[in-house]
Amino acid sequence: MAQHKVCLIRGDGIGPEITQAVLTVLEAAKVDIEWVDLEAGLACVERGLPIVPEESIQKLAELGVGLKAPLTTPIGKGSVSPNVTLRKRLDLYACVRPVRSLRGLPTLFPGTDLVIFRENTEDVYGQVEYMATPTVAYTLKIITEGGCERICRAAFEYARANGRRRVTAVHKANIMKIADGLFLRTFQRVAAEYPDIEANDRIVDAQCMHLVTRWTEYDVLVTENLYGDILSDLCAGMVGGLGVAPGANMGTKCALFEAVHGSAPDIAGQNRANPTALLLSATQMLAHLGEHRAKADIEGALEATLERGVKTTDLGGDATTSAFAEAIASELRA
Amino acid sequence: MPRAMGGERGLELCGVDVFVWSAKTPELPTEVGPFRLELISNRGTRVFPPPTPDIDLCDWPRARYLANEAIADQDVDWLLARLTQAGWIWTKSQKLYRKDGADLFSHPY
Repeated sequence: MAQHKVCLIRGDGIGPEITQAVLTVLEAAKVDIEWVDLEAGLACVERGLPIVPEESIQKLAELGVGLKAPLTTPIGKGSVSPNVTLRKRLDLYACVRPVRSLRGLPTLFPGTDLVIFRENTEDVYGQVEYMATPTVAYTLKIITEGGCERICRAAFEYARANGRRRVTAVHKANIMKIADGLFLRTFQRVAAEYPDIEANDRIVDAQCMHLVTRWTEYDVLVTENLYGDILSDLCAGMVGGLGVAPGANMGTKCALFEAVHGSAPDIAGQNRANPTALLLSATQMLAHLGEHRAKADIEGALEATLERGVKTTDLGGDATTSAFAEAIASELRA
Repeated sequence: MPRAMGGERGLELCGVDVFVWSAKTPELPTEVGPFRLELISNRGTRVFPPPTPDIDLCDWPRARYLANEAIADQDVDWLLARLTQAGWIWTKSQKLYRKDGADLFSHPY
């Protein structure tokens, strides 16, 4: 019996080819995983099924861990986002985005190494919107003490477990004194329970400036949904873009590891897509499973491959998806 | 029957969202006068009618009542009074309008 049993969603568009690339690398790293393929995505819709069938949701809840390639949200009235469906149904309240500059991938921000904890379930993302009059629209920003507490606690627990020294709360409590004030007060209350971890806070606009001027000063950032959405892509851009940006959506019962980018249907099936983001999501998953050595080995092989100039076209190289994966696998076998 | 305010501007009053202070998903009346309980959401996620996702709930669910027929502002006042009389503590309400057949309010997941 395999040491780990993990759900696998191969995705739409470029999903299947980057998934195959990741499996090639993980096999070369000799990680003992039994993959359980789950149905989700456009193929389900075409067969008249929900975009994420109930059996897939139940299997994820049962096994508690999954790797997911990008899924496409069908266009049209009443269409449902598969990603949002999974987050809602599994209560994946923490979006965890590690951001690290890679050797072999030059950036204006060398030495970047931080992790963003974005609250995933509230703030202005509840789709509670109204036209109060024909000329006035408003969106409710819902912030709850419980929602703040669990994301802050997740950030501190992560910091403690991963040798991180500082957690920074990012907010706009100087303007939204009640909603963001609740977030900040809750952060400070939770922080008091972790005296071994330094805690501070930044106003979100100042945080953005600091990220491009003093990026090495930051370690773990914890923030609300909207600020986290924006900061995550800003930080991804700092280290090479969405093609190298891994992520995870985590709850108390399940953790789903997934690339941040979309399914890129325009290049699907052309063996051109960059599998790095999904590969780094997979290494994030390996750490979650306690496979720290395999994580380090794969990330080392990835960086060695990039340093040799083997890159996909989006990073300025000419390697195909499969050739790039095989190059990383060769590094691991060497 | 009085007309709904806003009618002269082409708005059709079609219901009301009521935010209730309740630790659990409230067992609100599903039919009240001209209204039917369309849904209850919690932090934007639909929790009624079933299936109810296994999510962390806050104590501020939103109930959406839609009208089965033409209604006036007084009907909304009446509905809110009925909920108060039944012991529900509602802390916010928002009238729901349509214009040219289009909803001027969002729908939850």
